[in-house]
Amino acid sequence: MERPNRHKIMAWVGAEILPHEGAVRAWLRRSLGPADLEDVIQESYCRISALDDVDHIRSGRAYFFTTARSLVIERVRRSRIVSIEAVADLDIYCNASDEPSPERIVGGRRELARVMSLIEALPERCREVVRLRKIEDMPQRQVAERLGIAEHAVENDVAKGLRLILRALAESEPAGEGSGIELERHGKDRNSRSD
Amino acid sequence: MEKTETAEAIEIKAARWVARLDRAGDDPVARADVGHALEAWLGDDVRRRGAYFRAASAWAMLDRASILGRAASGAKDDAFSGGDSSWQEWDDDQFDDEYRRYDQMQVSEVVRPSISRRAAFRWGGGALAASLVAGVTGSAVLGPGTKRDNTGGEVIATRIGEIRRVPLVDGSLASVNTQSQIIVEYKPKERKVALAKGEAWFRVAKNPDRPFVVEAGDVRARAVGTAFSVRKTDEGVTVQVTEGRVAVWRVGDEDNVDYVDAGSRAFVAAVLPQTKISEDPPAINRSLAWRQGELAFDGDTLGEAAQEFNRYNRVQIRIDDPALASEKLVGRFRTDEPDAFARAASTTLDADVQFVGGEIRLYRR
Repeated sequence: MERPNRHKIMAWVGAEILPHEGAVRAWLRRSLGPADLEDVIQESYCRISALDDVDHIRSGRAYFFTTARSLVIERVRRSRIVSIEAVADLDIYCNASDEPSPERIVGGRRELARVMSLIEALPERCREVVRLRKIEDMPQRQVAERLGIAEHAVENDVAKGLRLILRALAESEPAGEGSGIELERHGKDRNSRSD
Repeated sequence: MEKTETAEAIEIKAARWVARLDRAGDDPVARADVGHALEAWLGDDVRRRGAYFRAASAWAMLDRASILGRAASGAKDDAFSGGDSSWQEWDDDQFDDEYRRYDQMQVSEVVRPSISRRAAFRWGGGALAASLVAGVTGSAVLGPGTKRDNTGGEVIATRIGEIRRVPLVDGSLASVNTQSQIIVEYKPKERKVALAKGEAWFRVAKNPDRPFVVEAGDVRARAVGTAFSVRKTDEGVTVQVTEGRVAVWRVGDEDNVDYVDAGSRAFVAAVLPQTKISEDPPAINRSLAWRQGELAFDGDTLGEAAQEFNRYNRVQIRIDDPALASEKLVGRFRTDEPDAFARAASTTLDADVQFVGGEIRLYRR
């Protein structure tokens, strides 16, 4: 499990991959059912986790879309349930601008604000646990002492809080990079080609 | 690998594993114990591995919140354990400084900014300067290198595949589609644009005293403040309205003005006297997807779609098989990627694709 670049890659995933999950999901939702969609998301992360380094990747967003697309294409080959646009219009959603955003500081602030709002949105004790653990950087044992609760209760709250945050990330609005490409969606999503 | 395990069940377990490993903290023995059990759970299950990695990355991402804790310990005591969201009260400079420090510590190794703040300002200044110059010379078009025709109108022409967005001095905007030409001529009482060929879309800045008139052959379309497109073909002129209302008539038939509202299109046939008006907002939106460099289809035939692509590319798509050409499809594509379109079509419609010279052939064996 522990590899040399592990920490670096996970930090990169937090900054460059997770923020785009909402957008990737929105794109997948147009061609896959919910169960297939979740599978593709999990498999995408598995592929990304197998990376030895991320230095060569200029845009996490584009990389995430490309990875998901190749998994969708594999599915298309296995069964013909996917609409034609799923495999082709990737660039519209991804708008594969390889450029890292010019105003990195502003982006960073937005990212921090997002992390904070994820924590703020948690139910009360959960939020307190995550706050102490992440903002105050206290180990779980100390959090338990501070709040006067058992350590396994802290562990439970960490698991619960994390799961709620993962849900929130999945449902977050697609994060556009201010590309000027306007998405005009009309009508309902199509799950299959209309004949 | 359990095939029946739902993605949700996996996600819940993955979050538990992260919490368990987090509890072990820095204790090497406890970490190794949890690590072994975790490896056993992960096995070679792709979904479990993906879900765990995602959860672990999200948990690590929350470390970013600690920069606030660190900063707060200097200025305000315990700012975040009691009152809520005092982090929002930071001013921008404070935030920038703190972020920069954090950025240098952990993130800088993976992020390479390409344009400095200074460069962004310089670019902004350039655009401002351009608009001032345009004001001085009395040009109707913002931007450099405008050609003029013999009556002083400004000519904007596009080559095959080229789509231009041209801001006009009155605040209006023209999007000029592939293989098209417009001539912009602003007069005191009228903003006149002649569509010599092809297609253009206009977002017209409101000015009731100075109507905006597009001329296409003997057809006229007049607006005061709306958004609409005009396309000229051998068959006739099509006016599609996306905002407001546009008056459409034929020269010499000024008594017969048709008013076309948002979501409707008017087709003035070259040979027929009657103007045909139809309402179909989704279809109009689709047919204007070119403004974003896209082509959108919904129930169009493969043959029609190929014809559209051929307007934008030197590489032509050819389909000789009429049965294949009449297959219907749904999709959104980039105008400049006929190859991606052909591949997608071949996958879904069970056809073969062949790239020969300047041609893409779709066929069934």
